[in-house]
Amino acid sequence: MSVIIWIAGVLAAVSALGVVFSPQPLYSALSLVLAIGALAVIFLALNAQFLFVVQLIVYAGAVMVLFVFIIALLSPGADEQVRIDSRFVVGAVMAMGITVAMVVAARNGITINGNGVFRAQQIGQASDPYHAFSFDQSDLGLVNTAGNVQTVGGQLFTTFLLPFEITSLLLLVAAVGAVYLTRRGRSHTEPILRERAQARRPAPTLEEDRIEVEVG
Amino acid sequence: MNAGGNFPFLLGLAAFLFSVGALGVLIRRNPIVVFMCIELMLNAVNIVFVSYGRFLNSEEGQVFAFMVIVVAAAEVVVGLALITQVFRLGRELDVDDLDEMRE
Repeated sequence: MSVIIWIAGVLAAVSALGVVFSPQPLYSALSLVLAIGALAVIFLALNAQFLFVVQLIVYAGAVMVLFVFIIALLSPGADEQVRIDSRFVVGAVMAMGITVAMVVAARNGITINGNGVFRAQQIGQASDPYHAFSFDQSDLGLVNTAGNVQTVGGQLFTTFLLPFEITSLLLLVAAVGAVYLTRRGRSHTEPILRERAQARRPAPTLEEDRIEVEVG
Repeated sequence: MNAGGNFPFLLGLAAFLFSVGALGVLIRRNPIVVFMCIELMLNAVNIVFVSYGRFLNSEEGQVFAFMVIVVAAAEVVVGLALITQVFRLGRELDVDDLDEMRE
C-alpha cells in the first residue's frame, strides 16, 4: 500500500510541475488529468472509495472535459513561455514560503490562543493523536473498513444534511450564473465594453486578424 | 498495514502540490492555466482532508473533501463562463489586462 501511495504521489508531483511549466494550455490540462488520476489512486489507497469515484467522475470526467472544451473553443494559440523575470522570482519565493510555513505548521501543530490568534505551538507528546507525525494505529474505526461508502453517505445525510443541501443550492446558482454570463443579447452593456476594448488596443491589421481560411 | 508511515509523505505531497499551484497562479498569465492551478491547490487540500480523516478514524475528512470538490466544480463553471465572455469581447486572454471590473 505504501508503494502505491509513493508512486502515485511522485507522479502527481511531476505532473503538477507539468501543469505550471507547460507552454501550451492543452498540455497543462493533460498534465492536470494525470495529477487528478494519481490523486484518485491515493484516495483509493487511503480507503476513500467514494471520493475515488467522485474524483474520477467530477474532476477527470466533467471539469477537465470542460477545460479541454474551452481550450479548443477559444484556442489561445500564443504559447506562453515561462520567463525568469521578477514576477517569477516573487512567485517562487512566495511559494517556497508557503511550503515552509505549512511544513512547520504540520510539524509543530497549530492552536488558537485565547485572543483568537493563530499560533504555532509545539505539542510534542509523541502519543498525542493530534500531532501530525504520530498516530496511534491500534484503533481502526468504521471509516477504515473496506468499502466505507455507506459510512460516508450516512454522515452526509445525517450530520451534514444542511451543508449538503446548501451544496445543491450552490450548484444551482452556478448553473444559472453560467447561463446568464454566456448568453448573448445583453445589448445595452456589451457595445460599451467592446468600444472600450477597441479603444484600448489598435485595430488589428490584416495579418493579425484571427480569421483564417483553409482551402482544400 | 502500517499506513501511518505514509502520513508525513502525504502532508509533504499536499504542501508541494499547494505550493506548485500557488506558484502557477502567481507566474502564469493565461487565465485558463491559472484556473487549473487553482484546481491543483484545491486537490492538495483534499489530500490533507482525506489523510487526516484516515489517520484520525473519522469520516468527516471525506465529507469535507466532497464539499471541496463540489465547490471546485461550481467555481470552474462560473470562471470558464467569465473567460468565454472576456474572449467574446475580443480581448487577449491575459490576466494582467483584465481590469474592466475595476473601472
